Amino acid sequence: MFALTVARRYLFSNPAQTALLISGVALGVTAFVFITALIEGLAIRLTDDVTANSSHISLEPETRVARVLPSPDAELASVAIVSTFQRRQIRAWEPAVALLRSQPSVSAISPQISGSAFLVKGEAVAPVAVTAIDPAFLDAIAPISTEITSGNSNLGADGILIGVGLAENLGLSSGQPVLFRTDRGIDRLLTVRGVFRTGLQALDEKVAYLSLQTARPLFALPEGLTNIEVKLEEPGRAREIAAFLHEATGLRATPWQEKNANLEGALTAQARTGTLIQVFSLISVLVGIASALSLSANRRRGEIGIMRAFGVSSAFIAAVFVLQGLMIGMVGAAIGCVSGFALCSWLATLTDADGIMILPVARFEGGYVAVFLLTTLGAVLASVIPARSAARLDPLEAIQQ
Amino acid sequence: MSSVLEARAIGMTFRNGDAFTEVLRNVDVTLEPGELVALLGASGSGKSTFLSIAGLLLRPTTGTITIAGQRVDQLSDAERAEFRNARLGFIFQFHHLLPDFTATENVAFPAAAPAGGITPAMRQRARELLARVGLSDRLDFRVTRLSGGQKQRVAIARALMNKPELIFADEPTGSLDRVAAQQVLDLMREVNREDKATFLICTHDEQVAARCTRRITLKDGQVEGASEEQPVAT
Repeated sequence: MFALTVARRYLFSNPAQTALLISGVALGVTAFVFITALIEGLAIRLTDDVTANSSHISLEPETRVARVLPSPDAELASVAIVSTFQRRQIRAWEPAVALLRSQPSVSAISPQISGSAFLVKGEAVAPVAVTAIDPAFLDAIAPISTEITSGNSNLGADGILIGVGLAENLGLSSGQPVLFRTDRGIDRLLTVRGVFRTGLQALDEKVAYLSLQTARPLFALPEGLTNIEVKLEEPGRAREIAAFLHEATGLRATPWQEKNANLEGALTAQARTGTLIQVFSLISVLVGIASALSLSANRRRGEIGIMRAFGVSSAFIAAVFVLQGLMIGMVGAAIGCVSGFALCSWLATLTDADGIMILPVARFEGGYVAVFLLTTLGAVLASVIPARSAARLDPLEAIQQ
Repeated sequence: MSSVLEARAIGMTFRNGDAFTEVLRNVDVTLEPGELVALLGASGSGKSTFLSIAGLLLRPTTGTITIAGQRVDQLSDAERAEFRNARLGFIFQFHHLLPDFTATENVAFPAAAPAGGITPAMRQRARELLARVGLSDRLDFRVTRLSGGQKQRVAIARALMNKPELIFADEPTGSLDRVAAQQVLDLMREVNREDKATFLICTHDEQVAARCTRRITLKDGQVEGASEEQPVAT
């Protein structure tokens, strides 16, 4: 393609200027990659922080509501009363668990009985949120066994694990008995098997872990569960997967984002800010390309005029400038992607005393393909203005100048 | 044999805002094959405008243009460009060579652009043309390394690349010193004589006109006089 040869010669005719132009594009792309990796890294870090000790999806029975029954007599309305005696439960939970196990997007499952209770030690009484689980999957949702500060995580038939804050409030330590009283007044003496410290006040002061076997008679749930907690490989897909699980199981499926609406709002605002910076980076790159090629077209008016006089088509002239834009865009974007990745890789090595990244860049999430394609396409579009102006040049006017 | 160029009743009026300037009025010009014609006239007489119209670079306000028997004044822009490329040659006062290309590539350009590249045959012809204009030792030189006279000779070779029937030259020696101008004129005469190519040379230089076989003089946009065949000065 001869237009490509001409375009290449034009670019190489002034190597310093071309290098400067490509550097500008590369710099813009590097900024784009950095911002994308940083925004993505921040989102991952925040999501991880929020969901590290909680599930990504909670499956629960649908909420029970009183409903008006149809009546032939318009004056009288009958209402189906909701029983509060029986706890809400998932009776047929095995098929739901089997379905979850078959999903590759699910990384961990925790069938649970959750409820409220009190721990009584002498005169001291403390309310606790009870999480009863299969001891084999104690760490499925939150890493508890690794956070035990005294005792062990072996729940057994009458064991309980409590947080360090709760232990301090009640003056308890591992190996000591404690009276467990459910919200319906059923009492049982349990033994504190271990005390954990997660660093999260909500867990350390309020939560107690039992085995499902221990919890069933206490909460009058001989077979069912109150909820199934799910961890995902990709937390960002929680909404989509929750919708699928709701459809498939008929259970209420709540993604973690709904429980953390503020965080989601912050992440959305952060992503929008990132998009704005990305858009401005790209615009500055494209304006640079358009202005440089416009200058080039202006500088070469005489040459273009003589080409047109010789009958070289407008399409050929336009192609010369569009191909210059394409080459500048492709080379600049490629260099920018490489330098952006190098910058992010270097930043990823900068950590504080705790080994945490100072800037949480997700270096593999720099939007490389997107920025390469956008820059290349944008460069072509940016070159259309000078290309059209060159192709429309009146040969006579250009030659006479 | 039909005329190479028949321009009939050519009129050209330029508009600048509300002002109209009539540059050409009822101009008739006919060129026969193999002629070397000087188009003379003072500055502003309309000779360059006529050359541009005859060379299909400008549309006349009135009149018709026929080149080698084909009416061309009604062609579309794209058709005119195609016609210029295949059938016409141009030499301008300023060569406007492509500075990033060698002499051979510049000469081959009018053939290479529509064909999508320089074929070996094109390269060969370009080299032959350059040898003919006395630049066989400058074939692969970037044109920026050539003198003014050499550049104009490259421009002449470029005009001949597609074997045009009609070559338009607008003040071809205007930017050259006397020696270089003489060489360029000799070259055009040689091409005219040997290739039977028809030339219309726009000039205000009497010495250039004296080297042509015929002269047409324009004054105030009208043909003032057209000579019969004249003896050519050497």
